[in-house]
Amino acid sequence: MLAIDARDVAKTFRAGWIGRRETVALDGVSLGVERGAIFGLLGPNGAGKTTLLSIFATLLLPDRGRITVLGLDVVKDATEVRRRLNMASGNASFLWNLRPPEILSFYGRLYGVSGRALRRRVDELLTVCELDPHRRVPYNELSTGLKQRLALAKSLLNDPELLFLDEPTLGLDPDVSTRLRRYVASLRRERGMTIVLTTHYMREAEELCDEIAFIKAGRIFARGSAGDLKRAIQLGDVIALRLDPPDVRLDDAPGVLRAVAANGWIEYTVDAAEKRVPELLQRLHADGVVVRGIEVREPDLEDVFVEMAR
Amino acid sequence: MIGSRAEKCWRAEGLLRAEATAVWAFAVRNLQMATRNVFLLFELLFWPVVGVSTIGLMTRFLALSTEDAAFVLIGQMAFSIVSTCQLDVAYSVIYDIWSKSMKHQFLAPIGIRHLTIGSWTVGILRGTLVFLLTGGLAAWAFRINVFDPGLGPVVTLLAGCFLTAWIVGVCVCALIMLFGGRAETAAWAPINLVLALSGIYYPVSVLPSAAAHVARAIPLTYFLDTYRSNFGFPSAYPHAALTGFALSAGYVMLSHWALLAAVGRARRTGLLLKMSE
Repeated sequence: MLAIDARDVAKTFRAGWIGRRETVALDGVSLGVERGAIFGLLGPNGAGKTTLLSIFATLLLPDRGRITVLGLDVVKDATEVRRRLNMASGNASFLWNLRPPEILSFYGRLYGVSGRALRRRVDELLTVCELDPHRRVPYNELSTGLKQRLALAKSLLNDPELLFLDEPTLGLDPDVSTRLRRYVASLRRERGMTIVLTTHYMREAEELCDEIAFIKAGRIFARGSAGDLKRAIQLGDVIALRLDPPDVRLDDAPGVLRAVAANGWIEYTVDAAEKRVPELLQRLHADGVVVRGIEVREPDLEDVFVEMAR
Repeated sequence: MIGSRAEKCWRAEGLLRAEATAVWAFAVRNLQMATRNVFLLFELLFWPVVGVSTIGLMTRFLALSTEDAAFVLIGQMAFSIVSTCQLDVAYSVIYDIWSKSMKHQFLAPIGIRHLTIGSWTVGILRGTLVFLLTGGLAAWAFRINVFDPGLGPVVTLLAGCFLTAWIVGVCVCALIMLFGGRAETAAWAPINLVLALSGIYYPVSVLPSAAAHVARAIPLTYFLDTYRSNFGFPSAYPHAALTGFALSAGYVMLSHWALLAAVGRARRTGLLLKMSE
């Protein structure tokens, strides 16, 4: 069952009264996100990730296309959709002189939560997001990490079925990012929440996402699991060998795409490591070459990103 | 049958509570913001007091009769009440422009009625305080008791001021949602024109004829006219208060629609997101 079903979504931004400038942000995007999945949207700056997320979240109207979120039309049933989703941005901002409990209470009331239930929910989220010690601090005096945690707490106020995270770990310390990622994973595990996130951190996408869509110039360029994307881009696996004698070359062996020598190691990029490792070792053994060291490495998502963004 | 009626009642009660909670959210937020900012005290104390004192002293210098002095002082008080209250309505989006948090409130399942009514509620509270303060000052410093006409006329005048404030405030919100932060200055400017046209310091009859026609389309003109009739100035319009309320009802609907359309446009153009960056 799909949490998001988008077909042929297009959006063009127009600016200026005289000499109108047009920027195509989305150009016929079709996408389906399974319920209970963590789905990643990757792409270079200006690719259309935030635009797509904003359309799904009803903050932006599409020019064209049909989008259902949790079985509801995002344009016709926008209010009902809003009840069931929420969003946190890495660069979120709130009223500067309100304190975390006041900010959460304000947004909680907008979702119809009031009285004792609201107090309980706010307390619970302040604890979960480790904001308890900062209850009395005005928003503009909070650190970036605390602001981000507050944004996440705000996005959980209505216990959403669908959560959008727009660069949730932007500018955070590595340890805070790791904790936040763990918490996001637990949201799906424990509450069955569907999560759609945009990120520039490939490690984050690789660690969290079941499926990833790569957007470039307003189009979905590729989609699948991190493994699928690596295979699709045909970056190949790397087999690094330390040989004795060191000057033996296997460039002409089947499946070898390229070879690079460095620091006594030769790195062979091959089409599929699981198939080529035994073949190469067999050949080396037959030639009487001693293998002093071997390392097999898959390309990471960062390599895929760089390749696709080109 | 009984079960379904009970369920309907329960649903209606739930809906009503959700409506009240969302309105309350904006009222509490505006109150919190007002109490945290010392400069907002100026809106409540400084300008109204300076306004009534200046105008009162001018009436003394010009040696105006008590009735004439009451005429201009009532205008000055209406000016302070409307300005204060309409600013609160405008704050419902201005705070979010300043804090770049616009998208969060429009991501929630609320209607624009919640943000305008909630903010207006605080405006009414602050406007009433301004009225009491300036009325007290006028009575103490210039021996002019603006409370003399009694509760009915006072409530009618205040209702007229608050409705005018609502209309102007919501129009300011619509302008901001249409043009973004650039239109922020509109929060302080148009109210002065509206007040000048509605004859705060003079009868509308002294306005040039084109302006007088415009004045007839402004609800506050009728509320001021009604209230001043209690101080010996014959009313220029038949059923002035009724006309004022009828006009207000029309403008309330129009301004609400204008803001609704502006928010819809901001969602279409992406301005809603730009105001959150």
